[in-house]
Amino acid sequence: MESSDASMEVAVASSDPKSSSLPPKPSFAPLKAQDMYDGRVQFRKVSVPPHRYSPLKKSWMDIYTPVYEQMKIDIRMNLKSRKVELKTRADTPDVSNLQKCADFVQAFMMGFDVIDAIALLRLDELYLESFEIKDVKTLKGEHLSRAIGRLSGKGGKTKFAIENATKTRIVIADTKIHILGSFANIKVARNSLCSLILGSPAGKVYSKLRVVTSRLAERF
Amino acid sequence: MSTDDPACLDILRRLKSTDPPLWLAPNPSLSQQARTASLGLFSSLKPYTPQSPLDRLLIDGFDAEQIWQQIELQSHPLLSFLQREVKRFEKSGEISRFLAEEPQMKDILREAEDDQGRKEEEDVDGFDEDEAGASEDLDDDDEEEDGAEEEEKEDRDEVGDESESESGEEGDKGGIEDGFLKIKELEEYLQKDEAKKYGLEGSGKKKAGNKERRGIDEDESSEEGEEDDGDDDDEPGGFGVDDDEEEIENARYEDFFGGKRKKARRKPKVKDGSEEDVSEEEDGDDTENENEGNHNLSTHEKELLSMKSKIEQMEKANLEPKTWTMQGEVTAAKRPKNSALEVDLDFEHNARPAPVITEEVTASLEDLIRKRIMEAHFDDVEKPPSLPGKGPREIKELDENKSKKGLAEIYEDEYAQKASLISAPSSFSDEQKKEATLLFKKLCLKLDALSHFHFAPKPVIEDMSIQANVPALAMEEIAPLAVSDAAMLAPEEVFSGKGNVKDESELTQADRKRRRAKKKRIHKAEEAKRMTTKSKLRTMPNPDEGKED
Repeated sequence: MESSDASMEVAVASSDPKSSSLPPKPSFAPLKAQDMYDGRVQFRKVSVPPHRYSPLKKSWMDIYTPVYEQMKIDIRMNLKSRKVELKTRADTPDVSNLQKCADFVQAFMMGFDVIDAIALLRLDELYLESFEIKDVKTLKGEHLSRAIGRLSGKGGKTKFAIENATKTRIVIADTKIHILGSFANIKVARNSLCSLILGSPAGKVYSKLRVVTSRLAERF
Repeated sequence: MSTDDPACLDILRRLKSTDPPLWLAPNPSLSQQARTASLGLFSSLKPYTPQSPLDRLLIDGFDAEQIWQQIELQSHPLLSFLQREVKRFEKSGEISRFLAEEPQMKDILREAEDDQGRKEEEDVDGFDEDEAGASEDLDDDDEEEDGAEEEEKEDRDEVGDESESESGEEGDKGGIEDGFLKIKELEEYLQKDEAKKYGLEGSGKKKAGNKERRGIDEDESSEEGEEDDGDDDDEPGGFGVDDDEEEIENARYEDFFGGKRKKARRKPKVKDGSEEDVSEEEDGDDTENENEGNHNLSTHEKELLSMKSKIEQMEKANLEPKTWTMQGEVTAAKRPKNSALEVDLDFEHNARPAPVITEEVTASLEDLIRKRIMEAHFDDVEKPPSLPGKGPREIKELDENKSKKGLAEIYEDEYAQKASLISAPSSFSDEQKKEATLLFKKLCLKLDALSHFHFAPKPVIEDMSIQANVPALAMEEIAPLAVSDAAMLAPEEVFSGKGNVKDESELTQADRKRRRAKKKRIHKAEEAKRMTTKSKLRTMPNPDEGKED
């Protein structure tokens, strides 16, 4: 009796949705980039600052290859307008690829190395952050120069120390500072850089770094 | 107003009759009466002081002090005048004449004079070393006694010589003498005065106290014989003390070494025949002159006499209470103030006395300091070694070089680690540690081999390395280590064979033949096999070749 009841129930269950006239849950395949915008092609244009022109020329192939091959995005350099243009293809798998490539090229323009900027293509959670020294503290003339010097350290050792400790990449372009890395790491790096701008000596920053990074590492 | 005035007398009587307590409180009526009384007295004394500047005592509006000053102004010259008069009166002998009328008085007078003379004799025969001034007495005394006594003439002649000689010496010594002030005369006068004053008064006590004084003189003359004569005037009145001091000051030779003159004098006194005199004088002499220069005694007898006097002295001292130093436990209250300072106390010092800093001490100290500095051997306080509690914390080193890995690779590695695909890469310090431990182990092995004391087997380093199957004997040649051949190949690994294994030399002929035959058979079989495979390959390919259709 029970088994028949069970089958009955099943039969009833199957019959019920039909009776309520709710369509089954549709299952769609993920949209291609083209389909998203109704078949239109997406563009991104990244302007090239003059100081990055020759490095771009040097490392063009390193940029082109992963973008075209792996991301399946068309990329070209418009010499007249001095811009790098990106375009989706028909077989671009994911709509976010374009944005990632644009970010990648943008990162290169900011001043990051190709190998560091590549991480943007590979990892989702990496972000770019930029700020200026004057956002932290108003400095003028010699003080500003000294602050910049403090940030980089002798031969860049302070900058490298922060980079290595926090697994980020830092670019100091005159008064602008760009940080590339994951969210928490960016925060740590930003704190260290800000404390350096505000005047604390490198040793103090190092000790703080050690504490924070060890804590970060322990978390996992 | 004078004392003759009845009013004045009345006032005086009244003052005298007032109760003493009334004088304690200031009473204006009493003071007024006293003033008037003093005025009366002043006026009565006025005729005797012709040189006084005041005609009468001024009491109106003057306070007590001023009135006193006025009275003193009058009385001071008056007193000295009176004293002079009295002395003059004495000298002139009116008193003696007056008193001589009564026989007792005469005796007394005689005694007094004798005493005085004897005293003078003593003075004369005292110390030669005495100060010059002391010898002045003699002249005065001589002058006084010249007219009085016959008995003393002989003595005095001697005395006079002495005194003159002494005074002659004395004249040369005095340096402050000049025409106006003659110290010699002053001293003479003072001595005369003293003699007059104390000679008369001290006559009664003299006999009794003389014995003591003799003894004291001998002891103390050395201390006190050299007092200035000027002090004589300042001595306070008081019989015995004065006499003693007088005696001590005027201590003379005869006090100590016996009076030859006394003895000589005694005899004339005896010769005189007056019993009274003799008895008295002898009494006086007996009591006074036992110890004095009896120059007829032998030295032994003299010594005996001195001994006797000492004994008497000691016995007397024993009767008295002891001095505080002899009394055993004495508190500060029981002894006079500051007396402990005068006594030489001896007690144990528990503390070491402070070292005397001499040049040698400082030099030695400086040498020591220099040596220490050169050796750098200081006695600095050293920090105690901290206990080795925890090991040194592993400080994560911050790499200050540009990282060779790209950012992507870093995140890749991190992910892989999290996903536990790859073991965590050993940090730089770990690798170094490994290398260090490895090197150390190698070193330790070599050192142990050298020392041969401790057996330490070769450390098992898990490496892929070729083990040489060297016989143990060869190894031992290098160093007599006990080498464990556990790492060597086991016999089974060398050869795992079954059956009766024979060596080459052990094989018999038949075995060799058998072996050869076996080899041949195997070889043949292989050849045959090869042939067949070759032929197969040749004949295989085209099935159509054979066909000609």
